[in-house]
Amino acid sequence: MSHTKHTSSLRFRLHDRASETTKIFSPRLGAASLHRPGSADIEVQTPGILTSTVRGLVPHLARDTMRATQAIRWVNVPFESFLEHTPPILTLQNGPHPLHRILGFLPERHIVSMVLRDPSDDREMPPNGKDFVSANCIRGMTVSDWRNHAITCEPDVILALSDIPFTAGGLSQKRLTKSIERSAAWLADILKPVDMDDISATRPRLNVLVHMAGGSVLAARKEFAYSLLETPLDGEEASAIRPYKILDDGVSGYAFDLVPLHKAFSDPPSLDSVPLSKVSVRRTAMELSPAFNIPTPEATAKLVPLLRASLEILPPTKLRIAHSAGSPHEMLYLVRDVGIDIFDAHWAQRAADIGIALDFTFPAPITVDKNGRDIGHNMYDARYAHDFSQFADSFAEQTSEDSLAPSSRCSCLACSPMPPPSALRHSTIDEPVPTRQMKPNTRAYLHHLLHTHEMGANVLLAAHNLSVLDAFFAGIRSVLSSRPDDFAREVERFAHVYDGELKIFMLARKAWADVELARGKGRLAREKEKQAQGTLGTAVELD
Amino acid sequence: MQFEVLATCHTTKARVARMILPHGATMLPTFMPVATQAAIKGLTSQQMESLGISLILNNTYHLNLRPGIQVLKEAGGAHKFQGWDHNLLTDSGGFQLVSLSKFTKITEEGALFASPFTGEPTMLTPEESISIQHAIGADIIMQLDDVVSSLTTGPRVEEAMERSVRWLDRCIAYHVREGRQHTQNLFAIVQGGLDARLRGACLEEMIKRKDQVAGYAIGGLSGGEEKDVFWRVIKQCTEKLPEDRPRYSMGVGFAEDLLVCVALGVDMADCVFPTRTARFGVALTRKGALNLRLHKHAKDLNPIDHECPCPTCSDGVSRAILHHQTTRETAAAHAVTLHNLTFQAQVMGGARDAIINGTFPLYLKSFFADYFGDKGYPAWCVNALRSVGVDLLEDNPNAKVVTGRGVWWEYASAS
Ligand SMILES: [Zn+2]
Ligand SMILES: [Zn+2]
Repeated sequence: MSHTKHTSSLRFRLHDRASETTKIFSPRLGAASLHRPGSADIEVQTPGILTSTVRGLVPHLARDTMRATQAIRWVNVPFESFLEHTPPILTLQNGPHPLHRILGFLPERHIVSMVLRDPSDDREMPPNGKDFVSANCIRGMTVSDWRNHAITCEPDVILALSDIPFTAGGLSQKRLTKSIERSAAWLADILKPVDMDDISATRPRLNVLVHMAGGSVLAARKEFAYSLLETPLDGEEASAIRPYKILDDGVSGYAFDLVPLHKAFSDPPSLDSVPLSKVSVRRTAMELSPAFNIPTPEATAKLVPLLRASLEILPPTKLRIAHSAGSPHEMLYLVRDVGIDIFDAHWAQRAADIGIALDFTFPAPITVDKNGRDIGHNMYDARYAHDFSQFADSFAEQTSEDSLAPSSRCSCLACSPMPPPSALRHSTIDEPVPTRQMKPNTRAYLHHLLHTHEMGANVLLAAHNLSVLDAFFAGIRSVLSSRPDDFAREVERFAHVYDGELKIFMLARKAWADVELARGKGRLAREKEKQAQGTLGTAVELD
Repeated sequence: MQFEVLATCHTTKARVARMILPHGATMLPTFMPVATQAAIKGLTSQQMESLGISLILNNTYHLNLRPGIQVLKEAGGAHKFQGWDHNLLTDSGGFQLVSLSKFTKITEEGALFASPFTGEPTMLTPEESISIQHAIGADIIMQLDDVVSSLTTGPRVEEAMERSVRWLDRCIAYHVREGRQHTQNLFAIVQGGLDARLRGACLEEMIKRKDQVAGYAIGGLSGGEEKDVFWRVIKQCTEKLPEDRPRYSMGVGFAEDLLVCVALGVDMADCVFPTRTARFGVALTRKGALNLRLHKHAKDLNPIDHECPCPTCSDGVSRAILHHQTTRETAAAHAVTLHNLTFQAQVMGGARDAIINGTFPLYLKSFFADYFGDKGYPAWCVNALRSVGVDLLEDNPNAKVVTGRGVWWEYASAS
């Protein structure tokens, strides 16, 4: 079978053409689709989600459980951990769809994007250079290597390198200008057509997303956006991107990294933010999870003008992606006020690491006894020890006056387990007997797994939380499509019904730290080491 | 329980049997993965089912602490609690009491220990052990035995053996009184240390109680004793134990141990080894164990084993990507666990087919040749298999033979 490289194309279309002209920051319905010649398009309905990975996998999910999780359609692969080896092993795979193949994603089901740095990692890095970016590894990445890796690995989507300094505090005007110039130059490099072995062939292009640079300075963000629309003055750059006239012509979408912005707008969390407990537990909780990326509504409100400043002069028809939103509330605000199309699921995946089973819907249920309810359950809590209900109640709750919830059960592998498609037979006389009745996993079982430190807890939670978040976005799309005028009101109602500070995270993290502490120092050391490796996942038990 | 021997090896004592329990049939000989806390490390029940595994083990001691018997009763038993609709075996809890608690004191009444929750003195009697196992609801349950380390010598060994017989009677009486003998199958545990006379006495007493015992476990081994002593004790037991009862060798999980035990007439075995070693990045193969953490795998795009039918190998997960992820990401541990459990099941499934086809001696020879190859056959395996008519060195008289456990491949040499 012959396979032509770099022939997939990422397309984005908006369902309502009005948002292309007048309402450029309104919530919008659309679909991102990946077209591969010869196979059906992969569609991600927007607003929707993509899934974060660490070391090339969705934390806690082996290939079979990952594929059993229908919410996983688009995965984002940070490249930096693979720089531990030279050459990076992702570049060693041969054959069609090498990146999909080496990581186990399915070309017919999964869109795979590649980014240098984990967008949720807020640790400070050494400064970037003129043509290289620092990453969480010994060496950084040069601009030309990044392009070569993208050409070799064939991700469906590549994020251009950008110079977004990860330093706390304000940046000088000079540094900002340099950041913008570098980011534009690095984008130009990856937009160059790909030279093929067959020189007569057309020279294909990569599907490129660009991080919107400019930090927390409105003028700088506008300037960066403007640089995408400028005709390059530099003749070499202009000819390099031809036939594009301007950088933006080659860009498939705009990506926003929210972590550095959150960091600029919020005070660092203090020890006091962990509920009252022994100091050792509090310290452990802090050490085990230093990145605490839950913005206040005020902090999110400050993001809005910044994101708009990046977008206002750019074509509204392109995909808008936000990395590391901190809560469902922030996601809703950014859909409503900026028109973001895709969010990564990072916070929901992180919740799975620390024992939270998500349980919320959009629209929020209409029969609510108390506002400010939690968006999930801290499954460490003793109240769940005897609770044999399924993880989430909210699928069975009524969410609008005229309709009952379409499904009373979460569709994840924990809540709606399915018999395996086949079972191995190890001898000719084996008689596999399928399970007679598939029952949802219970809270009591999950509670038990967490307290006994069984990794299975995180498997169930990772699949469940992704599914709950995916269903939340299906709810957003449903309101936007059936009663768009109610959307803003439903966002407000959601914000009342559900606690936006995510206090449940504090409680779960403390309970998690308690169990970790009880298991001793070696365990803690490994968990800390794990945290230094990536922003998601838990350490592997080696006792 | 229905237990039917379907085939026996013409040379060795190996046999194939069908054991039908309340949750379905399990073909023997088989290896039982250990789900200590009501979960196979990181795998869902559906994944276990997809591996073609139909019998797993839970630990009574652990389940009694967490989630506790009350929760298990509310759940309707451990099967429902963990979503496992296949066969389940529980131990008595005695072994963990002795190995995990320094303060455990054995009296005629039972095992006296300090409660891990309150520190209060607590007694685990034979009746209490069976009562807990009734609440758990496993298809096979174990008598409480008086466990001594296999390295113990002197009168304590005889005392423990005799007490284990008396406790068996108490377990049987309680089990019958509760009317559970048709829903849960009680196994006796043969004790007697490494002393042939004591083993013989224990066998004699326990076989007398055959009508009230569904199967027999061989206990008190796998505690660091010489392998040459280990197999002789196994052989002594399997030769005496009744043909029409399953035989279970406790704590055995290395492939060579499993196959020697099968050749000696053992039907079932369990061990945490394949799941535990997977977390450390060690994958088991017919050519020995691979330590995926070693740098030599960093660029190897081959799967662990091209011929392995497990989800990991059949999907082509490369050694290189496992090297990158192993011991760092839980999902890499899951991938290797899926493989290792399949490996164990394949070794035993291959044995079943070979016994049925009359090729078991050949199967042993080719397995050991692949597994130990030029690294040297462990002398104890050669001796044990010779005792049942299979000479591993027959076609290969100059093969290297080593004393002790034999090679450890890449287990220990992690970077
Ligand atoms: Zn679910
Ligand atoms: Zn395998």
